[in-house]
Amino acid sequence: MGKIVAVHSYKGGTGKTLLSVNLAASFAKRGKKVCLFDLDFRAPSLFSILKIENAQCWLNDYLNGSCDINKVLIDLGGRLQVNGNFFAALANPSTEAIRDMSGKDRKWEMRALGRLLSLRNTLLKEQKFDYLVLDTSPGLQYSSINSIVTADLVLVATTGDRSDVNGTRRMLGELYNLFEKKTGLVLNKVIDPISKSKRADMYTKVKDTYQVPMLGLVPCFCEILRAEGNFIFVQDKPNHPFTKIVDEIARKIDANEVN
Amino acid sequence: MTRERLLSKKPLHILEKIKENLERLNDKMEVMIELQKHGHKEFQPLPDTPLDVMTLLSMPDHLRKTAMTICRYGRATANEVAQQTSRARAVESAYLNQLVIMGYLKKERIGRKAYFYADRDSSG
Repeated sequence: MGKIVAVHSYKGGTGKTLLSVNLAASFAKRGKKVCLFDLDFRAPSLFSILKIENAQCWLNDYLNGSCDINKVLIDLGGRLQVNGNFFAALANPSTEAIRDMSGKDRKWEMRALGRLLSLRNTLLKEQKFDYLVLDTSPGLQYSSINSIVTADLVLVATTGDRSDVNGTRRMLGELYNLFEKKTGLVLNKVIDPISKSKRADMYTKVKDTYQVPMLGLVPCFCEILRAEGNFIFVQDKPNHPFTKIVDEIARKIDANEVN
Repeated sequence: MTRERLLSKKPLHILEKIKENLERLNDKMEVMIELQKHGHKEFQPLPDTPLDVMTLLSMPDHLRKTAMTICRYGRATANEVAQQTSRARAVESAYLNQLVIMGYLKKERIGRKAYFYADRDSSG
């Protein structure tokens, strides 16, 4: 059966969405059937990156119980040049929807967790998806913790920022460990990791600091900033070093090399 | 009349009823044993408390594992939970009954089987 991968972080701006979109595209490039979910209901962004203005149903509607998941899924096959099947489930970006989602009570969140958990059956088991990639909101809030509980693997995007390092360490001990989740770290925006020895040192340092394996080390690429969210690097820049890093992360996950 | 002859005359449904009541009694005993083991303060009963992720986070580890399994399956017996957690059925039965007392789970008996579930459908 397929896997659910949640991409999470302690702080915002660590590169979760960039990683989620490119990881999903990389899985699709490997011939996998993938669906990318925007679970950041407070700041939806996939609609903008994937350039989709309108959806028949939003992920909000599915979690509200008013729409079937198949009406939420948007087939990106026609828009992206990928080998596999690439779908997306988007969060409603309207201000009204954001306001509605932030006012949900605990009972609703419990039902939302039930609906997310049931995707394992409807999408992985029945519709034979290989990967569901969940792009979450940062920190400890309902939608992100619901995603973590649903996932088989949590990919944590982090930076060298002191507050991010401390927060991520706390989350590893007090969130992922409590839910017994398999976790991998992606260190993003690394300045000057050019030499091989420096890179190896960083892998050791990260392993010592966080006690979880590092799946990727992403240098600070000016091209990513310059792209302003207009490219999906894995698809549009196949030879870029960032694409190669994401492809390697996808390969490791696919080969079950995350322990 | 010999004891054997008397027993053979008892209708089957009475024996089944006795067995069912003994099972209920056993469930209650398991809860009482667990309450003695862990102390009462962990298990303050709360009526109909939603089993959301924040609740899961604040639970003691041994109960979280059981509650997570019910969340994943929606509805399960102590035996099914035990298969997932690799703990003994009696242990899971005790933990599940504690979660019922705490108001996080509901329990329904169908025949001889007791099913546990989080009540996601009721309003409120």
